[in-house]
Amino acid sequence: MINTILRFGIIIIILVLIQVLILNYIQFSGFVNPYVYIMIVLLLPSVTPAWLILIISFLAGLIIDLFAGSPGMHASATLVAGFSRPYILRLISPRDGYESGTDLSMSAYGFRWFLIYTTIIVLIHHTTLFYLEVFRFADFFRTILRILLSSFFTIGFILFIEYYRRGR
Amino acid sequence: MRNLLNFLLKYNNLIVFLLLEGIALYWLTAGNAYHNSRIVKGVQGVTRGLEERISNVRSYLSLREINSQIAAENSALRNTIERFTRVDDLKFTSVDDTLFHQKYQYTSARVINNSTNNQKNYFTIDKGLRQGIKVDMAVTNGINVAGVIVGCSENFSVAISMLNLDFRVSARIKSNGYFGSLSWNGRNYRYAVLNEIPQHINVNVGDTIETTGYSAVFPEGMLIGTVSDLKKSGSDFYNITIELFTDFKKLYHVNVIGNMKRSEQRELENQFQ
Repeated sequence: MINTILRFGIIIIILVLIQVLILNYIQFSGFVNPYVYIMIVLLLPSVTPAWLILIISFLAGLIIDLFAGSPGMHASATLVAGFSRPYILRLISPRDGYESGTDLSMSAYGFRWFLIYTTIIVLIHHTTLFYLEVFRFADFFRTILRILLSSFFTIGFILFIEYYRRGR
Repeated sequence: MRNLLNFLLKYNNLIVFLLLEGIALYWLTAGNAYHNSRIVKGVQGVTRGLEERISNVRSYLSLREINSQIAAENSALRNTIERFTRVDDLKFTSVDDTLFHQKYQYTSARVINNSTNNQKNYFTIDKGLRQGIKVDMAVTNGINVAGVIVGCSENFSVAISMLNLDFRVSARIKSNGYFGSLSWNGRNYRYAVLNEIPQHINVNVGDTIETTGYSAVFPEGMLIGTVSDLKKSGSDFYNITIELFTDFKKLYHVNVIGNMKRSEQRELENQFQ
């Protein structure tokens, strides 16, 4: 139990640092901003109570907000993702259900499952985030383009990280 | 009460979510810039130290780019210095005119203000007393007459343009040497008028008009223009229209001509007047 908390604490810190130190400075042509820290929400164990997920995602978003200088954007977007996570998990649950001992990882449930899981959560998060960012529907399709491009890169980064995490 | 507890228990996640989301959205939509800046300022103390470190590292990464920028800026500055020092070194260039047996000096300048649409046009050049410009020096566009300096400040000079009703220059027809007085009639900026050429001499359209050097402002043989039209009037003189070589609408690089031993000539002449 303590071990798990420690492990996920380290994962959260590393992901936040990657986001804050590296990815926040990557902006390809103003369209693409990968937000890999959403992986925090993805990786929390399946037995985590929903309220704890909410609090963790709120705090993670808050920290990103502090560094990005944006008021509450990331916090609310991550909250939406964290809130929807149990429903997504139920929706795409494997035939045998989730085992309480295993992580929600690519190695445990397979590449295809992880890709679907990641894609849904990332799309929910990015959609909320980018629409909160523009805060109007004026540039509706432009925003959709930004969401899709950024999601593509975020998912790519997450799969990349997950792949090497499995290898370790 | 029991129902309420049950309700809370059942929907506790939703409640937590709505609560936290409410906080986040409140922060986001608190359009009041004051609150925003208060919060941002309050937390910046936490993140500032880390952000400083980040930017330190990032500045190392961009050193190469900054280096090339500085190198480019350096070369530009060096060019500027060279231009300034050269201007100061070579204040006046000497010309030894063997054709007309005369010596004069000139310096180059840029026209920084000009007009052609008034009846009394002046133009301003970017050199003045400090660069050795004095009143009554001649201004030419290459070897074409442009004007005469009438006023100088430390770093600027104003010249009377040929396109000024008060401008007079002693001019002669190159082919036969008859001279007259050239002035502008205030009509077209491309044309001036040559007066006092007697009707018994032969003038053709296309003849070149040049300065005589009598006034000791312009050196001898500076070009003015060509005869474009001539009429015999009732008097003894032609009405000759000259098309000017200098296009005052695009006057930019000019030479200022001085030091023609003008004062010596003037002193000698004054003895006999």
